[in-house]
Amino acid sequence: MAFERKKPVLEIRKDIEIDYKDLELLEKCISPQGEMLSRRRTGLNAQGQRDLKRAIKRARHLGLLPFVV
Amino acid sequence: MNTYEGMFLIDNDVVRSGWDRAKASVVGLIEKHGGSLVTARRWDERRLAYTIKKKNRATYLLSFFKLPHDAHAALNRDLEIQEFCLRHLILRHEGEVPEVELKASEIENEGTFEVPEPPDDAYDEADEPRESSDDDDDGSDDFGDDEPRNDGFKSGRPLPGAVRKPAEPKQPTETATTTEA
Repeated sequence: MAFERKKPVLEIRKDIEIDYKDLELLEKCISPQGEMLSRRRTGLNAQGQRDLKRAIKRARHLGLLPFVV
Repeated sequence: MNTYEGMFLIDNDVVRSGWDRAKASVVGLIEKHGGSLVTARRWDERRLAYTIKKKNRATYLLSFFKLPHDAHAALNRDLEIQEFCLRHLILRHEGEVPEVELKASEIENEGTFEVPEPPDDAYDEADEPRESSDDDDDGSDDFGDDEPRNDGFKSGRPLPGAVRKPAEPKQPTETATTTEA
């Protein structure tokens, strides 16, 4: 039986720079409990996912995003 | 000299006493460590995702400044000691300062710009009642008494007052009659 990869939930444009101030984007990339979504869900490449991780952590530090809901 | 991007969470009690004064206290610290300010503007006033130093709301100041490379640690230490700054984030910025920031800072420095007074610490935008589709001020909803609402139609439920026809009794099939015979 062939393995079928699930489609990503989000479709983030590849050309945009992921920034900690872009809350509209970051809020889409966290679960209702405040956890980051996986690469399978965000559809980002490895570098993009690392940038996203950094941006979410910076936003959390500044009180823009919750650590846990 | 490197260019840095700094985001500072300013205590709303300090902002209430005057935005220019609050901004000057951050700029003063940068200049104390040999830096020079490029832009500084009020980014937002919002509710914090979690309580920081017993505060639930804060005003965000976004600034770009030049600083000697060895002054970063000293500035960080100074900011941690200050009470007006709840939290800060200083990042190295490569390239030119964005045009948008230069314009926004210019607008803020004009005399006509007024910073709204921050709301009470307990205020939450989520508690505000949502705006309804009833946009006139006559106190009634936008539906007339004689016309039926189409809520039921949208949701697939029958409209109130709609009478369902009783199901017709089934006719006996031919196969049933043959078995009886």
